[in-house]
Amino acid sequence: MTDLTLTTTHTDGHLAALCIGGEIDTQSAPALRKEALDVIAQGHPHLILDLTGITFCDSSGLNALIGIMRCAMAANGSLTLAAVPDRLSRMLDLTGLSTVMPSYPGTEAAMNARRPTTTPEPT
Amino acid sequence: MSGAPEASPGESRLRRVSPAGVEAARMKAVRRYDILDTPPDGAFDRVAAMAARLFDVPVASVTIVDADRIWFKAIHGLEGVAQIGRDPGLCGSAILRDDALVIPDTLTDPTACTNPLVTGPLGVRFYAAAPIITADGHRLGTVNILDTRPRLITEADTATLADLAAVVLDAMELRLSGLRLLREEQERRKAEEEARARAERDTEAITAFATTLQRTLLPPALPTVPGLELACHYRTDSPRDVGGDFYDVFSLGGQRWAFFLGDVCGKGAEAAAVTSLTRYTLRAAAQHHDDPTEVLDALNSALLLDPSMGSRYCTCVFGTLQPAPDGGFTVTVATGGHPPAFHIQHGDDGAMAVNGIRPRGGMLVGALEGAQFTSHTFHLAPGHGLLLYTDGLTEARLPDGTMLGEEGVAAFLTTRTTPDAGRLIEDTIALITGLPSGTGDDVALLAVSVPLAPATEQTAAASPAHTLATPVAGAARADQER
Repeated sequence: MTDLTLTTTHTDGHLAALCIGGEIDTQSAPALRKEALDVIAQGHPHLILDLTGITFCDSSGLNALIGIMRCAMAANGSLTLAAVPDRLSRMLDLTGLSTVMPSYPGTEAAMNARRPTTTPEPT
Repeated sequence: MSGAPEASPGESRLRRVSPAGVEAARMKAVRRYDILDTPPDGAFDRVAAMAARLFDVPVASVTIVDADRIWFKAIHGLEGVAQIGRDPGLCGSAILRDDALVIPDTLTDPTACTNPLVTGPLGVRFYAAAPIITADGHRLGTVNILDTRPRLITEADTATLADLAAVVLDAMELRLSGLRLLREEQERRKAEEEARARAERDTEAITAFATTLQRTLLPPALPTVPGLELACHYRTDSPRDVGGDFYDVFSLGGQRWAFFLGDVCGKGAEAAAVTSLTRYTLRAAAQHHDDPTEVLDALNSALLLDPSMGSRYCTCVFGTLQPAPDGGFTVTVATGGHPPAFHIQHGDDGAMAVNGIRPRGGMLVGALEGAQFTSHTFHLAPGHGLLLYTDGLTEARLPDGTMLGEEGVAAFLTTRTTPDAGRLIEDTIALITGLPSGTGDDVALLAVSVPLAPATEQTAAASPAHTLATPVAGAARADQER
């Protein structure tokens, strides 16, 4: 098992971007969930998870993502994914989660897409 | 103690009367050595023989004094005497004192002169005995020498007799510790055997319980559906594990049927509880909702409502079967986050045409409120088959380490020779078991196929509805019931 790595790359008001690497399985999923929930609790309910470095993700990983999304929504926030690997992307499509967890090619794109919802949109 | 001798009033030498308490403790010590009525033993026989030789007497013995008798552990010079009464005077008196008892002439001793050994045919005139005294002071018996004529022995002789008694005690201690070791070993072995037997019984009970529970989570057998061939396969990763895979086929009344197959996230007892809730919710919801998407909506709500469910969710394919005029069935399938079911029929090119049923949307069931489900309706004509499976199949590892995947399953299905349900399941099991690592996960498979109409339509219409290979009799009647 490769260890799960988790780095907070950006924080911007209510927004936080985390970069995750390694394997999300039964053993590492609880850690991912806890770390992400901590970031939400620290005042960043709008979470962006950059999954570039994810080499494996099973149903317990999906479970963690669902848990994180629920928690973010409970805090009036959101969960946005970035750089989702192909296989995980197919899993998200199959399970319908792609319809509730928008994903973008990278963290920058995700942050740009998220920002207008956190600050009043200029008209 | 009934057998404890009373000292004669006139007896000067035997002042130590054994009170009942002392005798009770003595008998307890005797029993501790567990030596009474044991067969002859070389060590004791040698002591008796040695005593006879050392003192040049005709008879020497090693005795243990029981409650009501004097028992010979070893006797030299007398054949066939196993025990005598506990009469006072000789051994009976010798065990009442700590030092050796020496009676140079029994006829002049006021107590010994009445002893049967003295007055009887043996005519004992000389008696000397050293008591066998345990470390805690109990006198078990004696080492004694007898002669038919009076004699005197020296103090050194008396000391030798006491040494022989000590040798006997050593032999008894050795024997006792050997016995104890043996007993402990036997008890340990017995305890081990009992523990093992108990563990086996427990395991059997638990296994039986788990198996019974598992049976309640799976339909024991598929029903007989007129005009359909059904086949299934279920395998848990471990035989004792209650898996999270589930499936069922059941009647909706009339000639409509429902089927489902799915997979609860996780394993073990918690997953089994979700599996159970899922199965019963689907069965109940199907009686109230004609639209499969509404059935999945109901399941989604039920799973989210249940407070114990936490973040447990399932993936599921739910479908209904309605007889169609051509002897086939109209199938409506809704999917919740589950890999596509495959619709299989003979293609134009000789291979099977395989079509994945992928209704749009179709989220995990029980994960999110307001999850969207959509359904897809298609025609399962005579000669067509439908295969449902859990991810234990798509995630089975190929020899190169990659997963079989949906594409792999579809490709495998195109090379089948028939879409018959039974053959589809058999072939798929063969595919899985043929893989180097098998599957590491639970696998559930469910296949449904419509057999081609038999050559003689008339026979088919007349045959009983329970025959698997018989298409539904009279499509017109099916229509009327709608």
